[in-house]
Amino acid sequence: MAARGDGTLSSTEFYLAASAFSDQWRKFNASSSQWKWVPCHRRPLTSINQEEGYLSSENVVLPTSIEEVRCEDDVGENDECSCSEDCFIDDAVLIQNGDSMRRQRLYDLHIVYSASYMVPVLFFRGYYSDGQPLLLDDIRKDLSANMTELLTESQWTFITQEEHPLLNRPWFTLHPCGTSDWMKLLRSHDNYLTSWFSLVGQVFGLKLPLEMLK
Amino acid sequence: MDPGQRSILQFAPFQSVVDEGFWHRLSSLKLNRLGIDETPISITGFYAPCSHNMVSNRFTLVADSLPDESSKEAFLPEIKRGNRSRCPVPGILYNTNTLEGFQSLDKQKLMKIEAKKIFDDICSGKVEEDPSVLLRFLLISFVDLKKWTFHYWFAFPALVLDPPATVSNLMPASEWFSKEELESLKDSCKNWRATSSTTDIPFFLVSIPSNSSATIRHLSAFDECLRDGHQLLFGFYDHCHLPKNSGWPLRNFLWFIARRCKLQKIIFFCYREKHGFADMELSLVGEASVSISQDLLKHQDLPNIVGWELNNRGKKAARFISLAETMDPTRLAIAAADLNLKLMRWRQLPSLDLNTLSSTKCLLIGAGTLGCQVARTLMAWGVHNITLVDSGKVSMSNPLRQSLYTLDDCLNGGEYKATAAVKSLTRIYPAVRAEPVIMAVPMPGHPVPSTEESTVLEDCRKLQDLISSHDVVFLLTDTRESRWLPSLLCADANKITITAALGFDSFLVMRHGAGPLSNTYDIETNTLNCASTERDSGRVQRLGCYFCNDVVAPIDSTSNRTLDQQCTVTRPGLAPIASSLAVELVVGILHHPSGIFAGAEFCNSNEQQPLGILPHQIRGSISQFSQMNLVGHASNTCTACSSVVVSQYRNRGLDFVVEAINHPTYLEDITGLTDLINSANSFDLDWADDDQAADIED
Repeated sequence: MAARGDGTLSSTEFYLAASAFSDQWRKFNASSSQWKWVPCHRRPLTSINQEEGYLSSENVVLPTSIEEVRCEDDVGENDECSCSEDCFIDDAVLIQNGDSMRRQRLYDLHIVYSASYMVPVLFFRGYYSDGQPLLLDDIRKDLSANMTELLTESQWTFITQEEHPLLNRPWFTLHPCGTSDWMKLLRSHDNYLTSWFSLVGQVFGLKLPLEMLK
Repeated sequence: MDPGQRSILQFAPFQSVVDEGFWHRLSSLKLNRLGIDETPISITGFYAPCSHNMVSNRFTLVADSLPDESSKEAFLPEIKRGNRSRCPVPGILYNTNTLEGFQSLDKQKLMKIEAKKIFDDICSGKVEEDPSVLLRFLLISFVDLKKWTFHYWFAFPALVLDPPATVSNLMPASEWFSKEELESLKDSCKNWRATSSTTDIPFFLVSIPSNSSATIRHLSAFDECLRDGHQLLFGFYDHCHLPKNSGWPLRNFLWFIARRCKLQKIIFFCYREKHGFADMELSLVGEASVSISQDLLKHQDLPNIVGWELNNRGKKAARFISLAETMDPTRLAIAAADLNLKLMRWRQLPSLDLNTLSSTKCLLIGAGTLGCQVARTLMAWGVHNITLVDSGKVSMSNPLRQSLYTLDDCLNGGEYKATAAVKSLTRIYPAVRAEPVIMAVPMPGHPVPSTEESTVLEDCRKLQDLISSHDVVFLLTDTRESRWLPSLLCADANKITITAALGFDSFLVMRHGAGPLSNTYDIETNTLNCASTERDSGRVQRLGCYFCNDVVAPIDSTSNRTLDQQCTVTRPGLAPIASSLAVELVVGILHHPSGIFAGAEFCNSNEQQPLGILPHQIRGSISQFSQMNLVGHASNTCTACSSVVVSQYRNRGLDFVVEAINHPTYLEDITGLTDLINSANSFDLDWADDDQAADIED
């Protein structure tokens, strides 16, 4: 794929890069959560164009996400409505101990193409394993554990909450307005997304295996 | 422990996870279709075989679990197809209208209803057709659409075996099967999982003929397999990853096998995966032993039922989740409002101090053409504390020029401007802290009849309080004399004060200098000691206020041709320009290290701040499309901010104010303006016979 001087790529180039990227990932990074292409269309009532969509990786556990026993909301206590008549002692149920009660934090990552900036944009959200969404502050704690100092101070990583263009719910995103600038400098690999992810993935502590970078 | 020994088979319960999308769709359904209807809703849950050796898979609800909002049969069971990563399971949702309703649901009864369905399906043969009905589940919920919170509780009804089943020889599948059996089983699993018609069927038979070629069969093939005399295992998708336990589906499966197949010794296969293929180290095989009584075989009554899910604390209680951050429009608006400012700071202006801006309290005196526009622009800068003072009501001509009002505000005699403005600001940005004050500003030259004196004193006191409790004051009224008292009070309190005034086609925007009696002011020399200043000596002349340039006291302005007399007639483009400049000036002051004490800066100033220069006065003309930055220093004879006047005010308080209001020449006398004018008069001016020589234009 010829490198475009200005750091952008077209929507077809994005689709091709995404396919190649997820194939390479499956080949060299099989033990991590995989990427899946989700065809999606913005205009209702038209048939789905396979090429329009986004790359999705869900239920991702970040490498250094610290599992802690978080304090639950106090509201739970007030809601304790037990089944009073159920006195049957069930011997056959496994009582899970404290360890498995820890709420793990999981992330969904979507790589979506932005037609106005002509670059890929990362949308993400975090949630506890029971579904409760993470707040931005919680996410920042997870991310700062992973990010190098360079990125924390960087003018290129800026997290905002915006409406996911295809799912119409608020997700977090790395603002794309700086992307073409640093892609101009960074372009190290034939596959645009591989170069792109080698930086963006670091925000989440996800490093590309060396074989992918060749 | 010797694997050959028998122990009670303990099942790991399902753990639920509800995707945000489910709550979004349920809220929408409730708002748009269900209303207060509490009829139970058929829903679909999803689960998949465990795919990770450290983490169990969870039982999931997603947006698609609910019927489509547009579907006509919202309450009839829908057949949802799954795929290899989601196996559909039928369920039912009881959503109540109140928290009390939720808490008082008869949970045992509801669970028994679902358990009875499972029991009936087992007895009738439905399970062989559609095995997923063995996992039928129940969800109760209460959705609080005001707070965007959700109370919910899952039950996965399980028919209890009494006495409980025991297990022996529980081991990884790779150890149980022979090499040939393993290979053929892996292939068969691969096919089963790859075929869309079977991939979402969670219960199956593993049939091993004598040639060791294991295959996967539908449950309905049981009789056939029995006749063929093959070894049979009962397999199912196991969500659990634990090496010594089976997942929850096996409970009802064993019950089914005991009742329908009449077996007491059951070899089961917990199917688990890795990277999409059968993982024979993670998957388990075990020998379960069930004691079949006549009761179990024949009885029509339900056995005991268990299955309410424990919450995060391990208690048998409901779960609670709050989605306010992502669903509450006000919170979303607040998050978005900051976005532009933060982007600005990130990309252009790292020294932008958003905290100061959001905590600065602004007082706007006047809620007309200037006031409305200043308020809007302040909000755009992230200023959230705005108080508007105005005694008037919205009239029909206002909405065109006063950007916070619409026709509705004019009806029925008109709303008070201050109130209407606050309502409008709140509609634009719900988190603004805007306060209305309906009050007239006492003015010199408009003498007060004694009947109204107490009201006027009250208003003066109110104005004092307002000024002392705010950080920045904007003088945005339409007469000169109405600016006098606020200017005096601001000079006394040393508050940042901005004046904006309009003529027909010209405007003035200026910042008042620091007060004369602030700590660092030297009365003798009428200069300031600036904390941070460009000059070595540290003495900078105090900047003037709106009245410093005048040589007449503010009086009734009907006969005086000053700038903002009768400014109801101004070119419409002026007010937005002047308002914008006023706000930008304030932002500059708030970021300037010297603040209110900052000297006047011009475009070739050495000390340029990141935001740019900080002028003292900006005078602009629309007829020339031009603008000038000027400076005017404080005047010793100023009727509003000179030390004479401010000292008098400090010593005599409101008495002084009332005297100034009632006696138009009082201010001129005490500031020495009278003398000044008299001395000017004493010059012999031949040509000024009939005119008053004191008629000096601004």
